Amino acid sequence: MTAAPMTVRICYLYPRLLSVAGDRGNLFTLMQRCAWRGIRCSVTEADVGVVPDFTQCDLILLHGGQDREMTAAALDLAEKAGPLREAIEGDAAVLAVCAGYQLLGRYYAPAAGPRIAGLEVLDVITRAGPARFIGHVAAACDLGSGRQHSLTGFENHSGRTYLGSGARPLGQVLAGAGNNGEDGTEGARYREVYATYLHGPVLPKNPWFADHLLSRALAHRYTGVGPLAPLPDHAEAQAHAAALRLARRQAGRWRAAVAAVSQARRPSRASRG
Amino acid sequence: MRIIASRPPARSGEGTPPVPPSVQARFALALAGGKAAAAAARALRVGGGTSFPGVVARWIDPRVLQRAMAGSDARKVVVTGSNGKTTTCRMLAALAKAEGLRVTQNRSGSNLLQGVTSAAVRETDLRGRMDAQLLLLEVDEATVRLVAPEVRPDTLMVTNIFRDQLDRFGELYAMARGLEAVIETLPASATVVLNGDDPLVASLAQGASARRLYFGIRADGTGGQVPEHAADTVRCVRCQHPLAYRVVHLSHLGDYRCPECGNARPGLDVAVTAIRPSPEDGSEITVETPAGTFSLRVPLPGLHNVYNAAAALAGEIALSRPRPLEPAEARRALAGVRPAFGRLEAIRAGERQVVLAFVKNPTSYNATLREVLRRPGRKHVLAAHSNTVVDGEDFAWLWDVDIEQLVPQLASLVISGTRAEEVLLRFKYAGARPEITRVLPGRSAALDTALTGIPPGESLYIFAGYTPMRELRSGMQRRGWVQPAWAE
Repeated sequence: MTAAPMTVRICYLYPRLLSVAGDRGNLFTLMQRCAWRGIRCSVTEADVGVVPDFTQCDLILLHGGQDREMTAAALDLAEKAGPLREAIEGDAAVLAVCAGYQLLGRYYAPAAGPRIAGLEVLDVITRAGPARFIGHVAAACDLGSGRQHSLTGFENHSGRTYLGSGARPLGQVLAGAGNNGEDGTEGARYREVYATYLHGPVLPKNPWFADHLLSRALAHRYTGVGPLAPLPDHAEAQAHAAALRLARRQAGRWRAAVAAVSQARRPSRASRG
Repeated sequence: MRIIASRPPARSGEGTPPVPPSVQARFALALAGGKAAAAAARALRVGGGTSFPGVVARWIDPRVLQRAMAGSDARKVVVTGSNGKTTTCRMLAALAKAEGLRVTQNRSGSNLLQGVTSAAVRETDLRGRMDAQLLLLEVDEATVRLVAPEVRPDTLMVTNIFRDQLDRFGELYAMARGLEAVIETLPASATVVLNGDDPLVASLAQGASARRLYFGIRADGTGGQVPEHAADTVRCVRCQHPLAYRVVHLSHLGDYRCPECGNARPGLDVAVTAIRPSPEDGSEITVETPAGTFSLRVPLPGLHNVYNAAAALAGEIALSRPRPLEPAEARRALAGVRPAFGRLEAIRAGERQVVLAFVKNPTSYNATLREVLRRPGRKHVLAAHSNTVVDGEDFAWLWDVDIEQLVPQLASLVISGTRAEEVLLRFKYAGARPEITRVLPGRSAALDTALTGIPPGESLYIFAGYTPMRELRSGMQRRGWVQPAWAE
C-alpha cells in the first residue's frame, strides 16, 4: 500500500475580516473530505499584517466580506500580492468567493469614491450596481474535463463583474444573476484559480467542486496522484438537489413576476425587504 | 417612582385643521375591520391573529397606525436590534408594570409593520382612544424605518446589531444607516437608548437632537480579549482600523478602543459592574445607574440576558427621568420575568422535558449552545429550519454556529423543517454520526420520533428557526403541554 499519508496545505486568508456568510464551511468541508480519506490537512490562517509563506501552500481560500472589510482586505492584500501572484502562477489552487473574487480582479469601482485596486490575477472588473442580487443560483460548469456539473449556492452582492478577454467564466447561469445579471456568466477562472459569487457555503453542497479543488491541490504538491477515493455523498446530493430546486423555482417566480409587471404596467410589490 | 404624565411637546405637523368626518369614519372602520379580523382569526384558530388584523386595517385605512398613535397619550417605546428585543421588552414591561403603569405590547415576533398595526388596533377603541399608558413595541430592525415615522416613539432602544438574515437586510452598515435616518428625525424630547458595548450601535445618534443613554457591561473577568469568530463589527466604524478590546463579553460586544483614531466605547450611563452566576439558572448582577446602584437577579441564563436586563433598566430610566428607581421594587419585578416562548423554554412533556430554543442567527445560536452545553449529560437534539418570509432563504449562517462543540455531547439527533437537507449537511460536517441521526422534514413526526427515542426523565433540546419553532410549539399546545404563546 501507499507510504506516508499525503498532506494538503491550506492557507485560509482573512479568517476574521472576510467571513460574513458562513464561508468558513468551505474550509470545514475540505478538511472533513480529507479526513474521511485519510489525507492530512494543515491549515495556516493569515489575517491582516501576516504574509504567509505561499510557496508552502497548495490551496488558498479567500472569502467574502462587506464593503468596509473588503477595503481593508484590499489594502492588506497589496502587501501579500507578490508571493501570492507567484503561487498562483505556480498552479496553487485558489477558491475565491464574492469579495475575494472581486479582489482578484483588476479593480472594484464603488458607487462613490475611488476605485479599489485588485490583485489583477483575473481579467475582470467590478462596478457597484444599483441593487443587490440576492437569491439562489444554479450554474452549469465544465472545468475543462468535458464533464458537465451543476454548481448551486446563494448569492448576495451588489457588485457587477464583467469578464475581459483573458478570463474564462466558471460556469453559465441556469438560474439567478451570476456575475452581472446580463451576460449569463458566473464566476471566473484562471490557471487553478476558481472564483465565484456563490455562498451557501459553496463546497458542502457541491462536493464535486470540493474534490476538484483537493485534486488540484494534491497535484500541486505530489506527482502521480490518482483519483480521490469516492465518498458516500447522499446528504450532499440531497442538499444539492434541494438547492437546485429552490434556484429553479425562484427563477420561475421571477419570470412570472416580470411578465405580470410588464403586462399590468404597474409597480410590483417586492417579495423581500 | 412615577412616570411624568405630561405629553412631550407637540411636534411640527401636529395642530393641523380638524379631521373631516369622512376621514374619521374611515379610521373607525379600519379599527372595526381589524378587530373583526382578529376575532375571526381567533374563532377559526388560525394562530393568535398576529398580523392579519393589521393587514385588514391598513387595507381599509393606510394611515390607521399613524392616526391611532397620534390620538394616544401613551408613552411609546420602540425596541429594535438584532437580538434580545423580545426579552428586553418583557423585562421593561415588568419594570413599568411594577410602577403601576398600564403596559401594552405587540406580540413577540409580530414585529413587522402589520404586527405593530395589529397591536395598535387591538388596543384602540372604536373612537380612537387607547387605554395603555405605555406602548412597548418590539420592531424588526429592517422595518423600524417604516414603523418609526408612524409611531413617533418617545424612546428608541437599539439592543445590538449582529448579522441576522443578511439575505433580507443586505449589509449591516446599510441597516445602521437606516437606523441613523430614524434617529435623526427624533425630537429633543426623545431618548435613544444604545448598547455602548456594540461599536456600531454606539456610533449612532452622534448628531441627533435626542438624548442618548448608553448601557453596557463594565465587569472584568467575564470575557476574553479576542472577538469570537462570528464577530461582526471588529473594525473601527470611523477609520476601519481593527479595534483593540480590553475585554470582549459576547461576540463583538465589549470594551473596545481604536488604537488608530481613539474612537472608544462611550461612558456608560447604565453599567453592569459585577456578574455572579446565580444558583438557579441566571445571574446576580450589580448595576450602576444615574438613579443609583442596584443589585438585581436576572432570572434568565447567559450574558446576553445580562445585556437585556441592562437595556431594560436604561429604558426604564429613560421613561422615569425625574424620579429615582427603587431598587427593591426593580429587583422584585425583574426576578419575576419568565423566558419568552422559545427562549430556552422548559416544557413538561409527560415523563420527559422539552427545552425549546429559538435560534435565528449565529450569535443567538452560539449563545444558546453555550448555555445548553453547561448543563450536564448527553444531549438529545431536534434541529429544524424552514425557508419562509420570516426565516429567510439563506442558511449559510448555520456554518458560523459552533455545532462542532455540540457534537461530542450528542446522544440522538432528529433533523426537520423544509430546509432539513441544509441542517443535515451542517451536522454531518460537524461530525454527527449517521447512526444517531434521523431526518424527518414533517415537524409533528419529528417531534414524536425525537421524544419516543429518549428515555423517561431526560430532556429533548429543540433548536429551531421561527416558523418551525411556532409549529413545534403548536404541536405541544395541542397535546396540552403548553399554553398558546399569544395567551401569555
